[in-house]
Amino acid sequence: MSDEEEFFAWLDGELRGDAAARVEARVAADPALAAQARAHRALAGRLRGAFDPVLAAPVPDRVGAPPVDFAVVRDRRASRPVSRMTRWAAIAATLALGIVTGTMLATGSSSPIVRENGVLVAAASLEDALDTRLASAPASDDVRIGLTFRDADGQLCRSFENRDGSGLACRADGDWQIRGLFKQDEASPGDYRMASGPDPRLAELIDATIAGEPFDAEAERAAKEGGWR
Amino acid sequence: MGSQIEIERELRAHWPRLRRFALALSRDAADADDLVQATAERIIRSVGQWQAGSRFDSWMFRIARNLWIDTMRARGRQNARFAPEEDGEQIGFDPRPGTEAAIDLGTAMAAMQRLPEEQREVIALILIDGLGYRETADTLGLPIGTISSRLARGRTALLAMLGEKECGGE
Repeated sequence: MSDEEEFFAWLDGELRGDAAARVEARVAADPALAAQARAHRALAGRLRGAFDPVLAAPVPDRVGAPPVDFAVVRDRRASRPVSRMTRWAAIAATLALGIVTGTMLATGSSSPIVRENGVLVAAASLEDALDTRLASAPASDDVRIGLTFRDADGQLCRSFENRDGSGLACRADGDWQIRGLFKQDEASPGDYRMASGPDPRLAELIDATIAGEPFDAEAERAAKEGGWR
Repeated sequence: MGSQIEIERELRAHWPRLRRFALALSRDAADADDLVQATAERIIRSVGQWQAGSRFDSWMFRIARNLWIDTMRARGRQNARFAPEEDGEQIGFDPRPGTEAAIDLGTAMAAMQRLPEEQREVIALILIDGLGYRETADTLGLPIGTISSRLARGRTALLAMLGEKECGGE
């Protein structure tokens, strides 16, 4: 321990017996050192005082409650800050669910989206596509897969498009739960859909859901082989 | 092994200190809140790792500190080192020696940000929280000699930043 470190250890009450007495004598005999001691005591007091109000803040009712994965939040922040507006846009976007369910949520065994215990999940051709199809698959098929990525909870999500519209589904309890569904814009119908890029509402929803970067082809294939876990 | 209820009770009891520690490490309140939340969740998930009766605070600080290091690594060292200096100036930090008034939280945080990460955590635990050297060494998993040398360097730098009212300056 250097003299300086010993001096601080004494100041912090870390020295006992002879060691403490030795530094105390040194300080008493040296006005400059005594002034140092006062300055450092004052500094510690002011520093602690600055943080004191923090201790008075109320403790939340539920500690550690929200299911947020810090690592994922961190990645997300590092890559691209997400504004509150985008989050709200995403919430608003999910409200668009009702619009399209009339066409997609038909009854019958071939319906691509079914209601299970009150949540919408992919079924039939849509489930099949989400389970097996890679983004590189030919776009001529009924369902085309867009992006694959993880959300802030670490769940895998995939965006998709079909004749009726586009949407986002994420893994939950072994299903592809529908997070958002957007009806094909009637003003620009049909075949131009793919060429004109994704629905801006879907883009907003993805933006608000994604944590980190979308998967590349290799990561997508690995996720498929891993059973989308 | 601690139960979920015990862990939550400990966490509630130590919440203000966790929050203070997070603020001492972070550049702003949003970062600190994220860190507190992440630490709380990690603690709740790690219920099996804490022995009831052992020191909760050291365990909690260690988790928070490790999460913080992960965050800093992800952001990149450059960012962590240089951005805070600007922040310090932006909030009206007064570097003149002899500033005698009590310092506010923003000024204290800005000064802390100017310290290297490894000195900041030691200052946060010893000078702000009041942990002993041995407890700090155990919490951070460092030799006690490393603690005392980082502490010496950190507090000397802080004194230069926050005023040397008893020293008569240079």
